Amino acid sequence: MRNRDPATYSAISVTLRTSGMAMAVSLLLGLPLGYLLGYFDFRFKKQIRIVVDTLLSLPTVFIGLVIYALLTRNGPLGEAGLLFTIPGIAVGQAILALPIVIALTATAVEASDRNLRITLMSLGANRFQIAKSTLWEVRLGLLAAAVTATGRVLTEVGISLMVGGNIKWHTRTITTAIALETNKGEFGMGIALGLVLLLIALTVNISLTGLRRRI
Amino acid sequence: MDIYQIKDIDHYYGDKQVLSIEDISIQAASIVGLIGPNGSGKSTLLKLLGFLEEPTYGAILFKGKKVAFFSDEVRFRVTLLTQAPYLMRRSVFDNVVYGLKIRKDTKDLRSRVGRALDLVGLDPENFAKRKWYELSGGEAQRVALAARLVLKPEVLLLDEPTASVDADSARLIRKASLQAREEWGATLVVATHDWQWLYETCDSVMHLLHGRLFKNGLGSAVYGPWKFGAEGFLHKEFDDGQVLVVPTPEEGKKLAILDPSRMKISLPGKDPLLKWKIDTLNGFVTRLFLERNGEMVQVDIKVVELVITMRLALDKVEEFKLYPGKKVSIAYDPRDIEWF
Amino acid sequence: MGNKAAMKKTVFILVCLTTVLHGSIFFSGKFVHAAETGGELLMATTTSTDNTGLLDYLMPSFTAKTGIGVRWIAAGTGKALKLGENCDVDILLVHAPQAEIDFVDQGFGVDRQQIMYNDFVLIGPTEDPAKIRGKGISPALQAIKSSNTVFVSRGDNSGTNKKERLLWKLADMPIPEQETWYRQSGQGMLPTINVAAELKGYTMADRGTYIKYESIAEGKPALVILVESDDVLLNQYSIIPINLQHCANVKYDKAQVLSSWMAGDEAQRLIGEFKLLGKQLFTPNANRE
Repeated sequence: MRNRDPATYSAISVTLRTSGMAMAVSLLLGLPLGYLLGYFDFRFKKQIRIVVDTLLSLPTVFIGLVIYALLTRNGPLGEAGLLFTIPGIAVGQAILALPIVIALTATAVEASDRNLRITLMSLGANRFQIAKSTLWEVRLGLLAAAVTATGRVLTEVGISLMVGGNIKWHTRTITTAIALETNKGEFGMGIALGLVLLLIALTVNISLTGLRRRI
Repeated sequence: MDIYQIKDIDHYYGDKQVLSIEDISIQAASIVGLIGPNGSGKSTLLKLLGFLEEPTYGAILFKGKKVAFFSDEVRFRVTLLTQAPYLMRRSVFDNVVYGLKIRKDTKDLRSRVGRALDLVGLDPENFAKRKWYELSGGEAQRVALAARLVLKPEVLLLDEPTASVDADSARLIRKASLQAREEWGATLVVATHDWQWLYETCDSVMHLLHGRLFKNGLGSAVYGPWKFGAEGFLHKEFDDGQVLVVPTPEEGKKLAILDPSRMKISLPGKDPLLKWKIDTLNGFVTRLFLERNGEMVQVDIKVVELVITMRLALDKVEEFKLYPGKKVSIAYDPRDIEWF
Repeated sequence: MGNKAAMKKTVFILVCLTTVLHGSIFFSGKFVHAAETGGELLMATTTSTDNTGLLDYLMPSFTAKTGIGVRWIAAGTGKALKLGENCDVDILLVHAPQAEIDFVDQGFGVDRQQIMYNDFVLIGPTEDPAKIRGKGISPALQAIKSSNTVFVSRGDNSGTNKKERLLWKLADMPIPEQETWYRQSGQGMLPTINVAAELKGYTMADRGTYIKYESIAEGKPALVILVESDDVLLNQYSIIPINLQHCANVKYDKAQVLSSWMAGDEAQRLIGEFKLLGKQLFTPNANRE
């Protein structure tokens, strides 16, 4: 059943593309922002931290609704033509993942040894090198951030549904497909798709565990 | 040449003053020891000398020039070794080579790292590949030192380098640091309790207490309780009835410091000076120690609960026939006693 | 201290990076949009229509004939209409006549065309606890009320839901809002049927979705048709291109092509031939008024 169905492959492809884009953007932005938040002391640090932590609890349907409002034809970003497309979904998912990456990176950096900073400075590192080396030192914490964010992005429905439109062959992800099949009463298909998603998650985690051992 | 000139620094953490040091210079290629109890500000002073923090008020001149916090000029020349052995999460080789890579100084890396490890008594064949968690505390501290020595820094700041390590490592660390001075004239500033450093290695020793520096040694810090004495003076009564006379302090000053260099030692009943009205304390010798220069002797004299360390010329010690247990008198002028 | 200056610089660089990144997403969006969807029509339809599988069956013929690809989004009637109003789609295929007329009156859509119809049926458990089999609509609803049997409503303001509420009115009964036996699922037709099946209750469904439900249940459904063929149970489907005056970006020409095709002989024939379990789901009725 699921092994041969081209619609399933399409859903898998869409899921991987949206999550991939979303994770790339959120890591690219989130790691440095998280470093800044964790490393420096500045005036509104505590307040910003509270805001970031609260954003961790954003419901995906809410994000989906907000993004829809932004991307709709008459909305502020309507001209970009991103509604009901894969990049559009990726934008929403990136917003979902970003607070996770920032918060967990900041925590990892804050938890790093005080002596690290002194050591790096003593060996002559400049500010940029300190940032790079600190992030490398806390790499296991960063990995945890990436894993957590990826899990959230792979499994969300609200954003994919509202922003993507669940269009067959184009923006139907594994999760929106599950929602659709379940709504139709095709529970068997829903569960089969769920297992596929689980398999993907398992593969990702096995490779990340292998990575963790090596670094 | 003075490698460091400290000009009147006052350093605060928040509202709390942690250092207050007037004018001090440190000579290039000298070995300076830093003694003081925990919390006296040793680590802070080292951080300031390493330009890892900026003094709240005042300045530290490096080779005669004013230097900004974290500036390029000193970043490659001054290095600090922390008290707790700390390595980055990578192999020994990568730890040692880090500073060189930062400076883009990448020639002959293997042999230079090998030499640095040899210097601290670690066999490169055996140790270079090890990971940070495969080392004992002493080995880790030695690797940390090697990482700094490989850079041939002009100044090496050591914060209790032998405190958390085994005896063998302590010895090797001391040996390597001395070698640094021999080879390229490094200046060493060492905060330590270790007597082998202080008495056998250091050229001079600075005493730090409550963030203040006492160039000539700590002498003795005397704490209360105090009783009122004659006009303008306070008394401290010791258990055996002896009395220490000090001038009344200004508002806010809490610590009375005796300066042994201003005191005179004499044998009880023998010195004619006693006839004059100068205050004396009686005690006995507990320890004699010959300094590295072979000319001065440190004499510890116990006066009830105080231990006063005086430095006497060797011939004076011979003259007085001092030995541990001998009863002596110390004459002092109360006006020489300072309050802090 | 020097820390603050460096931090400001880093933040500035990050802001630049973000702008560059978003810019590139925009452009990739345009590129993707153009590449993938350049010629394609975007249609909004209802979940019940989509769930029957009619569009999967019908649209390929349209694309083969005209070369125009069609993508569609299935949502509740209300949302489908909203998507049209917001200019996010090019054409609508819905079945809520009064709402559609309002839609056109407000200038959002033009050239509304009737395409096909089916009817609504009352379905319930084979045991028929309220004994409504064979009755007319109004007596059936009254029987359900007096026997206190569960009735599941869409409760989502869809075309189907509006029709259901009309039936209560026609039976001279108030909408059973607060009654315990009246359950509002707030969902699409198939989920609502499933809820009714679980609760062993009654519901009103369109025949197309019921047949689909039957085929999913492989011919052995828990709920069967008990009341049908009343004139008032008509379910009319229409196609509405979005008004070019209202939305400058819609593919109006292509939408008209689709609309004409759907009303044309080939499509009408195909619609009549669409069967599940050997039963016809829709009766084509374009141009027959």
